[in-house]
Amino acid sequence: MGVKKRMSGCVATANAIRLADVDVICSYPIRPYTGIMSELARMVADGELDAEFILGEGEHGQLSVVYGAAAAGARAFTGSSGVGVMYAMELYSPISGERLPLQMCIADRTLDPPGDFGSEQTDAMCCRDQGWIQGWASTPQEALDISLMYYRIGEDPRVLLPQYACQDGYFVSHILGEVDVPTQAEVNAFLPPYKNHHVLDVKNPMIIGAQIEPQMGPGLQYQRYLAVEGSRKVIEEVHAEFADIFGRKYDPWIEEYMTDGAETVIFIQGGHAETGKTVVNRLRNLGEKVGLIRLRTVRPFPTKQVREALSKFKAVGVIDNSVSFGIACSAGILLTEVRAAIYDMGDKVKTVGFVAGLGGEMITHDEFYKVFKKLKEVVKTGRVEKESYWLPFEL
Amino acid sequence: MTVPYEKIPFAGTVPSPQKENEGMITGNWRTRRPILDAEKCTSCQLCWISCPDSSINLGDETSSLTFNLKYCKGCGICNEVCPVGAISLVPELDFED
Repeated sequence: MGVKKRMSGCVATANAIRLADVDVICSYPIRPYTGIMSELARMVADGELDAEFILGEGEHGQLSVVYGAAAAGARAFTGSSGVGVMYAMELYSPISGERLPLQMCIADRTLDPPGDFGSEQTDAMCCRDQGWIQGWASTPQEALDISLMYYRIGEDPRVLLPQYACQDGYFVSHILGEVDVPTQAEVNAFLPPYKNHHVLDVKNPMIIGAQIEPQMGPGLQYQRYLAVEGSRKVIEEVHAEFADIFGRKYDPWIEEYMTDGAETVIFIQGGHAETGKTVVNRLRNLGEKVGLIRLRTVRPFPTKQVREALSKFKAVGVIDNSVSFGIACSAGILLTEVRAAIYDMGDKVKTVGFVAGLGGEMITHDEFYKVFKKLKEVVKTGRVEKESYWLPFEL
Repeated sequence: MTVPYEKIPFAGTVPSPQKENEGMITGNWRTRRPILDAEKCTSCQLCWISCPDSSINLGDETSSLTFNLKYCKGCGICNEVCPVGAISLVPELDFED
């Protein structure tokens, strides 16, 4: 058992990185993720963590530094938010393609339209297809836990992939929650030292990221595809082992909240789910058959688990906290992925998309009530009249 | 022809030192050829460090440096960085070969 403290998502993540005993950290300031780096800088200065703390000249530089560090055999950590995440875009594919399991924490932030700093999942969702393990924490405790689990998953010799440990900016990163900080001994039992099978070494030189011929391209992509698909099994194993050691049990893919006997559910990712749960409680007390499903891991997307879980309901409202202008069905990424996952169930489960909480706005109780009201209407009429709604303007 | 994925080294890593790759000959991209004036060369090795394609072979006490024309793309960086102007770029069409 560790010590229970009240701390923000940023400080919780910093504690996870300290306990993971990382070797190299590269920072560049941008809010809100920067709270992680200020706490880590303090830990290094106070001698609580022995790591190289390097200041990047920008996010592209940050990712380049940890890229090299991971290639040299170091456990490396970096992070960013909003436009910073986008500035480093070039590096994401090579890092996963060269199978270097470093970790990046994204405390999400809206992209400039212009100059908004609020929470929104668009930044991290833009990076979802780069071959990284990715998921959202909804509380500071979970932020600490996924950082530890993701290192373990990513560094597994069967996986060797980098990870985006995401949390909602401000709503998770800057709001205090109770966090059980594990002991170093517990973490050591869970997370062995990082060993990669290809490491830069002057005595045994090799080229990582060499120019290749086009005919090797398909095979290299296929190797990475197999790694991402193969990580599903490892993700499940690691969550089970984490529960054994730390006593906190998470479903690796989706958290089901009050879904027993539910007819309509909300499908959502990240910290807004905590607000949604309070609305579910209230409606349950009023006798409504409602529930909530929170997606925990978005890459790899749990197609099978989502299909199984959603097959029980009559209507599902998928809330996207990110933008994807011009996307199929005119809502967001999660709606299209959920619809693809349940395609073979035909019209049995109705889905409606909602875009909400953009630019750092709360998804309010009132909005959750409206979503449930709309879903109830869909169940009653048996028809989806309009497949997507932008909140608060269209509902 | 697509190479079967099992035959591709893990993550595309390549044992080194491996200087030449028969599948990736780039010397025929070149429009200007680097030519060394050995009298001017001070063996400072700046061109060797700067060459993005490792196409410069260092000389020793008795011989001057040479260019690996099988791979040199003719980018001209060596000509730019040479502090004494010992490397000139000559149009390829001026050569017989």
